[in-house]
Amino acid sequence: MAMLVPVTEIQRFSTHDGDGIRTVVFLKGCPLRCEWCHNPETQNAYNELFYTDKNCILCGQCASVCPNHCHSIISDNHVFDRSNCKRCISCVSGCPANALSAVSKMMSVDDIVNEVMKDSAFYLDKGGVTLSGGEPLMYPLECIEILSVLKSKGVHTAIETCGFFDSQYAGRIADVTDLFLFDFKDSDRDRHRKYTGVYNDKIIENLYLLDNCGKDIVLRCIMINQVNMDENHTREIARVYHTLKHCIRVDLIPYHPYGNSKYTRLGLQPKHNKELIPDRRALSQIKDFLASQGVPVYLHN
Amino acid sequence: MEFYAVANQKRPVRLSRETREFAWESLMGKYGDEAMETPSVSLDHIAGFDNLSPLKQYDIAISEIAEKAPIRICKNEKISGAATLGDAILHRVPASRNGKTLWPSVSHLTLGFDKVLRIGINGIEKEIEEHLKNNNVPDCQREFYESLKNTISSLRLWHARYLDALKEMNSPNYTVLKNVPFEPPGSFHEAVQSLWFAFAFTRLTGNWSGIGRIDQMLGGYLKSDLDSKLITIDEAREILAHFFIKGCEWIRSAPPRESGDAQHYQNIILSGIDENGNDVTNDVTWLVLDIIEELGISDFPVSVRVNRNTPDKLLNRISEVIKFGGGIIAIYNEELVIQSMIDFGYSLEEARRFANDGCWEVQVPGKTYFTYIPFDGLKVLLNTLGIDSTTFGGTGGLRNEYKSMDELYQAFRENLKATVESIYSITVKSRLQFNDRQWKWKTNIPCTVVSLFTEGCIQNGRSYLEGGPVYNVISPHIGGVADIANSLYAIQKLVFDDKLISLNELTGILERNWENNEVLRQIALNKYEYYGNDNDEVDEYAARILDDFADMVEELNGRCPISFPPGVSTFGRQIEWAKYRSAVPFGRKKGEILSGNSSPSPGTDYRGATAIIKSYCKANLARLTCGSALDIVLHPSSVAGENGTVAITSLVKGFISLGGFFMQMDIANTDVFRKAQENPEQYRTLSVRVSGWNARFVTLDRDWQQMIIERAEQGI
Repeated sequence: MAMLVPVTEIQRFSTHDGDGIRTVVFLKGCPLRCEWCHNPETQNAYNELFYTDKNCILCGQCASVCPNHCHSIISDNHVFDRSNCKRCISCVSGCPANALSAVSKMMSVDDIVNEVMKDSAFYLDKGGVTLSGGEPLMYPLECIEILSVLKSKGVHTAIETCGFFDSQYAGRIADVTDLFLFDFKDSDRDRHRKYTGVYNDKIIENLYLLDNCGKDIVLRCIMINQVNMDENHTREIARVYHTLKHCIRVDLIPYHPYGNSKYTRLGLQPKHNKELIPDRRALSQIKDFLASQGVPVYLHN
Repeated sequence: MEFYAVANQKRPVRLSRETREFAWESLMGKYGDEAMETPSVSLDHIAGFDNLSPLKQYDIAISEIAEKAPIRICKNEKISGAATLGDAILHRVPASRNGKTLWPSVSHLTLGFDKVLRIGINGIEKEIEEHLKNNNVPDCQREFYESLKNTISSLRLWHARYLDALKEMNSPNYTVLKNVPFEPPGSFHEAVQSLWFAFAFTRLTGNWSGIGRIDQMLGGYLKSDLDSKLITIDEAREILAHFFIKGCEWIRSAPPRESGDAQHYQNIILSGIDENGNDVTNDVTWLVLDIIEELGISDFPVSVRVNRNTPDKLLNRISEVIKFGGGIIAIYNEELVIQSMIDFGYSLEEARRFANDGCWEVQVPGKTYFTYIPFDGLKVLLNTLGIDSTTFGGTGGLRNEYKSMDELYQAFRENLKATVESIYSITVKSRLQFNDRQWKWKTNIPCTVVSLFTEGCIQNGRSYLEGGPVYNVISPHIGGVADIANSLYAIQKLVFDDKLISLNELTGILERNWENNEVLRQIALNKYEYYGNDNDEVDEYAARILDDFADMVEELNGRCPISFPPGVSTFGRQIEWAKYRSAVPFGRKKGEILSGNSSPSPGTDYRGATAIIKSYCKANLARLTCGSALDIVLHPSSVAGENGTVAITSLVKGFISLGGFFMQMDIANTDVFRKAQENPEQYRTLSVRVSGWNARFVTLDRDWQQMIIERAEQGI
């Protein structure tokens, strides 16, 4: 039976998720619920509906096809009552204007491979394919299958992971992955639990498991004002870097309140607030400190 | 003095303060403004002028220009000679009678400056003398030879005026200019001066030539000077920078806003192989990249010939320069272009010499007469649908007769063929007549200055515009290819596959500009993936249209002394065409500005640069010998940092391996464009790639700016 996974997007010409030109496959579903998540549509593994108000032309096609009467056009307004929505997605095919769209579609390993191989002419020696999400390793067997096909075609492979996955697969995953973009969100155990919903024990265990497999690791450290930009965490980043054998770099990724429109389109309350945006000077200080500790560090914009 | 760069990057500083100030002055329009104060020299005092032959009139005009044009020697300039008459900036020979100029000048060509360096003007004069001596030149051609000699005399006169002025100022440039361009240069400095002076003279007299392969022309002189330690690389960079700065002398501080200012078709080509297959890349290649990186000068649009063996070091350097924005460097796929020219009929050596016409159309420099005839291919399709039958060449279609896509396509193909044939016959008739079973060139306006620098004119005793050059090329250019492909694909889907509407109904809807059919329009806009998204179904239409177009053009080629290679372009004509097009099947309304060159229709591509390149490369582009340009705009964030350089290099390599022809990449941010619209005075040096040329953004009129912004909005 073909293995199917929910894919929210296959993004070509990505230059931020690994080296060179990459195609990034975003899988839907994540075990974490980070307060600052900017891809809320990738949290739940089940399919959801995006509703983009500005695209709606008030044609009413959705209202006529929805079996649960969730859509209505009332005095030039599209009212979408999600409480009865069974996520049957019928309204999506009825909508001509892409105001309603399904967040993900199920794709087989073959479909995914075919799609990502479309840009093989641009990967060269550095670029390639990155699996991301959500948490791609919620689907370890599918990921292993996709990446092993890509490896057999000589494509550079990377996985962007929050580190919270079933440890028994670490070795097999590392066999087919050239680079891990490994999130190291917070070293404070309780704070990690508070802001992401889980403790970081398993994550740290998996980090060292992967490190023992010998593949390159980039530590991706999100920087959030008022949350994790303290001295302890900064020192811990340096310490972890030095205890890892194959960590090639630390990326500092400043929090951006980008995800708000996605929350709205999912029918959720926008979560993001500007107070969490880190100050450029504080970021530079952290960067300089890490550099002074002998850590190769790259500060993203 | 901040030369514009995207995304808060600082351009590096390598040049001296004086040179940077000179560049700034020039870019701010000081010299262009000065030139506009003396638009032309007057011929009113010439007795009996009206009774002279046009060629004699022209010779007098050139001589008067050489004698009377203001001399300008700028403080600290390292090379001398200046095109100081304003009408030249307006594409006219700057000589007037009763306040009116008499002739337009010539552009879209690259003159044989390599020959000037090799044998000097004196060498060329000797060729003329010998030709006159050894051949029985018919009387009708004597006047042309006289005119060639008169042109050299005028050049000599202008040169002497500069020498006098330099001597009087005790300028060190006196010795540099003394022997060139009449004799071959004895040093790198003299070589740059020689090239500049010859170029400046052609510009002084109104013409807009490209430069061609500057590194190949100058590299040997630099190497020899460096080897014998006569010069340092920093000194060489400084001298060469003055060539670029002086090339900006036509920039005005407040030009009328239209299609942008930096477009005098003075393209420069870097790198690639020579006629023997050896790489020409040398120190001059790297210096040019340094200079445009530092000064952001876009007036000599630079293209690089890239092949599979181009080293990463050069590609990465190009990417670094591209990252500053301004669209200064474009890419030719050298191997494909050479193969295309060979297939068309050029010899291997000639094909390897290729440069462009100063814009991006491919040709053999210094040997080619060139012009192109653009037409709106989308209009031909709309015609075929019976929406509008006023198009050039097309026969117009009858409503409701197409029962299948194939029938529709065949009818379109017939109309396209009729258009191409009519372009051919009009073109041929305008230039040639067929008498006594022989093709004869018709008399054209005088243009001896460019004839002097074009191989073939001396040998054939005919001018540049009268069949003198070795190659005479007129290229029909199809425009709107993406729009035709998208329209056909939308019809296929809406009418034949998904059966949402009949073709007859759809045509009516288009005539009514989609009025009251918003649902169907949204389906057309959103449900299908158009050209630029790497969707084989639609890309095949584009490939097929181009292949058929190439077939029809090829069929006509070889029947007369004019070669007829196919090309693809719009050069911004999509702005003008928008007024004459109806709404189109892929959901766009009447009046919207659609696709440019070989690029996607604005707003229809959303999968990023790689998908655009893939869509474009599915056509057999080698068949379009004149060229087919792809414009890509990248958002600064996608090419930031070290990996951004890798990304641009990877795009170029992918483009080459997939069989692209010519690609112009710009890095741009729509926010900056909007700010520049509000505060133009703060963005005077912000340049953008328009098509084969660059322009300071603030010199574009609103339509053109809007087109650039829409294109940039697709930047991923």
